[in-house]
Amino acid sequence: MEKKIEKPKSGERKEKFTTNSGIPVKRLYTPEDMAAFDYDKDLGLPGEEPYTRGIHSSMYRKRLWTIRQFSGLNSAYETNKRFKLLYKSGSTGFAIAADNASIMGFDPDSPDSDVELGVGGVNVSSIQDLEIMFDGLPIDKISTAVIPVMTTTCPHTAMYLAMAENKGIPLAKINGTTEGDPCSLGGCFDTATVPLKQMTRLCADLVEWCAFNVPKWNPVSFTSYNYREAGVNAYQEIGGLLSSAVLIIDEVLKRDRGLTVDDFVPRLAFHLSAHNDFFEEIAKMRAVRRMWAHLMTERYKAKNPKTKILRFHVQTAGSTLTYQQPLNNAIRASYQSLAAALGGVQSLHVCSYDEAICNPTEESAILSVRTQQIIQEETNITNTVDPLAGSYFVENLTNELEKRAWEFYHEIEELGGWGEVMDSGWLINHREGEICAQEDQIHSGERRVVGVNCHKEEKNPDIEYFKVDKGLNDKLRERMAKLRKERDNAKVEDALAELAEADSSGANVMPAIMKATKAYATLGEMVDITIRRYPCKASSSPIYGMKGMIG
Amino acid sequence: MEKIKVLTAKLGFDIHSRGITVVNRLLRDTGMEVVYLGNQYPETIVAAALDEDVDIIAIGSLSSTGLDYAQKLMNLLKEKNAEDIPVVFGGIVAPDEIHRLKEIGLVSYFPPGSDLDEMAKAFTDLAAQKQK
Repeated sequence: MEKKIEKPKSGERKEKFTTNSGIPVKRLYTPEDMAAFDYDKDLGLPGEEPYTRGIHSSMYRKRLWTIRQFSGLNSAYETNKRFKLLYKSGSTGFAIAADNASIMGFDPDSPDSDVELGVGGVNVSSIQDLEIMFDGLPIDKISTAVIPVMTTTCPHTAMYLAMAENKGIPLAKINGTTEGDPCSLGGCFDTATVPLKQMTRLCADLVEWCAFNVPKWNPVSFTSYNYREAGVNAYQEIGGLLSSAVLIIDEVLKRDRGLTVDDFVPRLAFHLSAHNDFFEEIAKMRAVRRMWAHLMTERYKAKNPKTKILRFHVQTAGSTLTYQQPLNNAIRASYQSLAAALGGVQSLHVCSYDEAICNPTEESAILSVRTQQIIQEETNITNTVDPLAGSYFVENLTNELEKRAWEFYHEIEELGGWGEVMDSGWLINHREGEICAQEDQIHSGERRVVGVNCHKEEKNPDIEYFKVDKGLNDKLRERMAKLRKERDNAKVEDALAELAEADSSGANVMPAIMKATKAYATLGEMVDITIRRYPCKASSSPIYGMKGMIG
Repeated sequence: MEKIKVLTAKLGFDIHSRGITVVNRLLRDTGMEVVYLGNQYPETIVAAALDEDVDIIAIGSLSSTGLDYAQKLMNLLKEKNAEDIPVVFGGIVAPDEIHRLKEIGLVSYFPPGSDLDEMAKAFTDLAAQKQK
C-alpha cells in the first residue's frame, strides 16, 4: 500500500522541505540570503584559493573529466576484453574492480575463496593477472586506478607497477591511483575484525615510497564513497573525508623520514559519492574543496598550491539503485553524473542500471560510458566553469554543508580522530542511526523512492543480467597451481623472507613487496605476512581472514 | 509465548550491511531478542544457533554468494538435526535463481524494498509455529 501524507496548512505539498541530509530548504532564496557573502574569500577564481569554483582555471574547456568505469569480471582474460571494449567505446581511464577473494587477500586455492571467486570483480592474485588484464592496452597513455580496498593495498599496487615496469614504462612515468585507504571502510563494518594500525602503516608506507619513487602515482584515494554508501549523510561524508586524510598525513609526518606535506600531499586523491539530492551534492563538492584548502593552510601550513587542491573521482551512489524497475537506475545515475560534472569532478564512474542485481553486462557498462559522453558532448554544461556559482540557493547550501561538515570533523577530532572513532565503534553506531532514520523516512513515505514506495509495478520488467562463469574456480585454481610449479620458488621464498624482515623491523615494506611481486609471489603469500600475522579483536569473523586469531 | 530469539548474520565477505542493520532494529523494536553475528561462515552460524537455542535464523546477502552459502548452512543444519529452525533469507537473488530458495529449504524470502510491517509479522508467525 502506498502511504499518503497529510497535506500541511501552508497549501504546499509538505510541511517541511529538506535536503536528503536533513538541511532545511526555504521556499525562496534572495539577495538577502547573501548578506555575508564575500566573493574573494568564499569563492575566488577557479584554480585559485580557496578553490571553491574548481581546481583549474579553465576546467572542462581545456580537458574533460576522465571517463573511468570501475570494471572487472571473472578472470583477467575476460576483464582484458571488457577493458578493450570500454576503451573502444571512449573510456579515458581504467579502474580495476577486484573480486571479493582478492580484496580479502586470499588466493584462488585457499578454502576461504571457495564461493567468493569472481564475485564483484576480477580475481587478481599475482602479477600474472595484471599482465593478462592489460595486454594490448595503452597504459603509457591512459591512467589506471587500482582499487584493492585496504588489505591488499601494497601488493596489488606493486603488481600493477611491476607489470608496467616490465612493459618498459619507468616507475617515474607510471600514471594512476591506488584506492584503498584503511579509513574508507570506517563505519561499514566492525573494525575489530581488522588490524587497523598495521593497515594505516601499510597505507603510509605506500604514500612514502611513491613520493620518492613513483611521483605521478596517487598512492591513496580517500574514499568517503564507501561510508556514504554505508549510511552517513552528505556533510558527514566530507567531514569524515578530511578527518580520514588527517589520519594518514599525520602517520607519514610522524615518521619524520624526510617528507613534508608539500612533498606528498599533492598526490593524495579523493573519491566521493554523487547521491540523489542534486543541489546538495554539487554544494558538497564545492564545499569540500574550500575546506581542504583551509585545512592544508591552517593545520599543516602548506606552501605548495598543489597541496591545497582537492582532486576527486566520483562514483554515482550504488545504494540509490533499486532492484525494482531496474531501468530507472540509468536515469538516477544520469542526474547524479550531472551533479558530479557541475561539482567539478576530475574522473567519473557511472553505476550501471543492473548493479542492484549483479555486475554490469557489456550493454549496461557501455551505457554508463555513453551517459558521460552525452553530458560531455551534448549538454554544453562544460562551456563555462562552475556555472552555479552565485546562485542564492547553491551558495547558501555550500556554506551550510561546510558548516555542518566542520562540526562533524571537529566532533571526530575531539573524540581522538578517525582511527579512534573507527576503533571505538562510534562511527558504526553513528551510521547505523543514520540508516535507520533514512529507512524510517522511506517506510513513512516521507522519502519517496520510485518503484519502491511509490509508483510501483506488479511485476518488475525483465532485464538481461550478468552471471559469474561457472567454471571460473577450476580455471583459476589450475592456473595458480601452474604458477606455483613453474616460478622460481627459491627466489619467492627469499623475497618473502625479506618482506617479513622489513615488515617486522618497521622499514618501508614496498621495496620487498616489489621484489616478491616480480618473483611471482602470490597475493595470499604477501598478505599472510603483512596482515594476517597481526592480531585483531574479533577472532571469528571471516572478514580479512582473521578467523582463529585472538588479539 | 516465550520471547522470540533470532540469530542474524551476513554471509562470507559481503559487507553491504544496510539491510541487516534495519532488520536488526526492526526485530528488537518488535520485542525479539537479536543475536547479531556480523559476517560469518555457515559453520559459525549453525554452531551459534544451537548454542543460543534460537527460534529463527535470518541471513542477509547483497552479494551473488548468498544462495551458495545458504545451501551450505541448510546442509549443516540437517547434519546437526536442527532442521526445525526456520531460516529466513533477505537481500538480492537473481531473478532466475528465485526457485532455488525453496529447493534449498529457506522458509521466507524478503527482496530489497520489502515492507517492514509484513516482515515483522512473518517473523512473529514463524516463531509461534516453532514454539508450538
